[in-house]
Amino acid sequence: MLPEPFTPAFLTQLETLRLRTRKEFLGSHPGSYSSPRRGTSLEFADYRRYSPGDDLRYLDWGIYARSDRLYIKLFREEVDLFAYVFIDASASMLFPSRAEKFLPATHVALALAYVVLANHDHVKFHLLQDLPPRVASPFYRGRRRMAECVEFAASAKPAGQLDLAPALGEHLKRLRRPGKAILISDFLMPAPSYQQGLNLLRGFNLDIAAIQVLSRQEVDPPFPNGSLALIDSESQAEFQYRWDTGARQSYRTRLAHHNSEIRSFCHQSGIHYSLYVTDRDLKDFVFATLPAIGLFK
Amino acid sequence: MEFLNPTALYGILALPLLLIPYLIRRKPQRIIFSSLLLLTEYDSSARRRPWGRLRLPPAFFLQLLLLTLLILALAEPVLSVRPTHIAIVLDNSASMQTLEDGKTRFALAQESARSLVADLGVNGRVELYRTVPRLEKIHGTPFSPSEAAGAIGALEPDDLGDHAIDYDQVLNEMMREQKYERVYLITDHPVSGQGEKIRALSVGSPQANIALLAFQVRRASLANAQLEATVELGNFSAKEEKIKVLLRGSGTLLQSRELVIGAGKTAEAGFSGFAAHPYYEAEIDVRDALPLDNRAFAVAPMAANLRILAISPRPQALASLGAIPGVKLDLISPADYENAERGGYGLEIFHFATPASLPQTPALFVLPPDANDWVDLGRPIARTVVSGWRDPHPLTRYVNFSLFRPIYARPLKPQASGDVIIESPQGPLVFAIERRGARHLVLGFDPFPYLGRGNLPMSIFTLNFLDWFFESGSRRGTASGEPLALGVAGQGGLLTTPRGEKITLEPGANNYAETFRQGIYQLRRSGENQIFAVNLQNANESDLRAPGPIAMKSATLSGGGAAALFSYWPYLLLAALLLLIIEWFVFPRMALLRARVRSSRVA
Repeated sequence: MLPEPFTPAFLTQLETLRLRTRKEFLGSHPGSYSSPRRGTSLEFADYRRYSPGDDLRYLDWGIYARSDRLYIKLFREEVDLFAYVFIDASASMLFPSRAEKFLPATHVALALAYVVLANHDHVKFHLLQDLPPRVASPFYRGRRRMAECVEFAASAKPAGQLDLAPALGEHLKRLRRPGKAILISDFLMPAPSYQQGLNLLRGFNLDIAAIQVLSRQEVDPPFPNGSLALIDSESQAEFQYRWDTGARQSYRTRLAHHNSEIRSFCHQSGIHYSLYVTDRDLKDFVFATLPAIGLFK
Repeated sequence: MEFLNPTALYGILALPLLLIPYLIRRKPQRIIFSSLLLLTEYDSSARRRPWGRLRLPPAFFLQLLLLTLLILALAEPVLSVRPTHIAIVLDNSASMQTLEDGKTRFALAQESARSLVADLGVNGRVELYRTVPRLEKIHGTPFSPSEAAGAIGALEPDDLGDHAIDYDQVLNEMMREQKYERVYLITDHPVSGQGEKIRALSVGSPQANIALLAFQVRRASLANAQLEATVELGNFSAKEEKIKVLLRGSGTLLQSRELVIGAGKTAEAGFSGFAAHPYYEAEIDVRDALPLDNRAFAVAPMAANLRILAISPRPQALASLGAIPGVKLDLISPADYENAERGGYGLEIFHFATPASLPQTPALFVLPPDANDWVDLGRPIARTVVSGWRDPHPLTRYVNFSLFRPIYARPLKPQASGDVIIESPQGPLVFAIERRGARHLVLGFDPFPYLGRGNLPMSIFTLNFLDWFFESGSRRGTASGEPLALGVAGQGGLLTTPRGEKITLEPGANNYAETFRQGIYQLRRSGENQIFAVNLQNANESDLRAPGPIAMKSATLSGGGAAALFSYWPYLLLAALLLLIIEWFVFPRMALLRARVRSSRVA
């Protein structure tokens, strides 16, 4: 049983999409993504001089007629894609509730996963937590595996704190094939922390997309004016705070500044970045925002 | 700078209360948030402090300033221009002798007056007034400040009660007529609504007091020589008091009594069977605010005999009175009355005669001729029947009116106010008048001659009125301020006041008016010594719980000299209003402004 947003119409629309990669990867099976290797696809890649034993079907007779030299046409190899979806499963993803932040985040992940599965590519989910053990799904391929993806996402239990770089490092240790990495997180962490994490992904030659998920309550906290004791959902640290119009304004400014820092870093690092506020319609986000940042072909 | 309502300045003591809302903070609401990353940077100074730090926003200082201005405005500040010609009215009534922390209210009033005088310039002129026995100037010409200070120190309070004076009107008139720049009234009464030129200073505070309200020593009756004393006490406090009353005769303790008086009540103590003394003193053994009314004085009752001066054209009928024990009679004709020596008589009987004016001594008028101002006579009654009488009344006691048959009677037609005691169908037969403490009785029939058992109802009535007059002769002493009736005297005398002052009386002086001190006054005249007791006898002065307030309604409307004060409390009020507007309009926007500044700093 798929969750509510995944109606047949939505799935049909998702099937029309394909993830776009800006890198070439060595796939395991023929597919629709370019590989650095030469192969038998229809996409011309280069010429090379004929050497005995080459398949005569690939001789370019036009060049031979003009130059009296024998050249062989080379074509790209098209392979399948390995997509890795990293989902932030720290306690902050439960604010204000699982339904208002973590579930929308998993819906984004599942939508992207379905795009991958519909193209007969491979997708794997990783839950990012500081708590051991490391939780990751197997590779899924084929749209029939969508139910298993949903089941895996539903079984995730966000908890604890998250230090992005070490948590990613744990998962990347076992990563054998480069591909597309999609990081879904609220990125409510110090700039050095997310920058180290994203650099780590870059170091593994992954084509990266970062999707920041925030709830409406995080964008515009509905605190009553007055003295508040705010408790950090991850560290449980308490902070005495006087909330008023000025504080609200200041928070909004700081959040905007924080988000612009993430956007700026991603832009400089060649990372697709998008912000998803969970009260927004998922379809609108998937079909309007994500193509706009170049995530889909 | 002065304050017309300095009591309001006590409000400044309450200003620190404004801090309370800022000190008291509610326990902060605990809210879980996804990440405090962006919040901890906002205000790191208040982190991990359970109550945070004391925040005193600009609004607090605005509110503080606002309240201070309001309190100052309530205190009615005035910028005083130093006056040069002032009048000081000192309340010198008996209640000013009340003790306030060891000092009398009058001493406090003197201090206030001296400080007022000290504020004057060298060229200042001061006129002093006192309120009792009447509101009058103490000295004919104005004092210089130094002279005024000396004159104030020499003043003393009198043992007199306050008069009902409309100070508002009187002081305004005084200021207009005398062109005073400022008039000060220093009193122990609370004053409301004082103005810029007429100022009132109140001294003292409400206090509890026990007072001796009345003291009387008398013979039990005309025929009974035993002495009786009655003391009336008042408890002007909020709790029941147990009081010991001492009776002294010529300074010697005779008897004492203890009695309990409820809060706000009066009580009476009686003494009897004590020895005769020239004068008596009652004292209550209590330490209270006003010592003056803890003592009262009384003189010995008149001699055992009732001395009667009978004025009659038919003296033989009156001579029968001499047969009554205790009665000493002198008979004269009406023509000799004006020249007669009338001192020492307890009763004057005008038998078919009338004086030119009502005498100051008790008097009986029997069928007075028509030429008088207080009663006319009707036509003679053929058969006299008594149809009504006052009962109970000392004059009608034991009289059988069914047998009361005057042979000749004429109904009375009273021309003055009084009481009808006995009346017939034709009109009143006995009419009683009381003037200045002296009893007068007018009869429409002739009770004389006194026949004893021969006409028992009439004889009983005769004895009743003699007893009634005798009792009036030993009534309460004189109240302070009332003149002493010295009797007619051809030659002067020497009067000794309670303070031992010797006053030589002019020949012919028949009264002495300056009884401003409570105590025993002794008159030595013609070798005889006469004693008078003067007492405060003023419950209003003794009741110190809530003196009557003095309202100065039209004080600010007074005319007279140049304005002595510049009142600027309206400007303070205006400033407070402006502050309020500033707080109202500007302060809510300050938070937004601060947020914008902070945002720009972050950006």
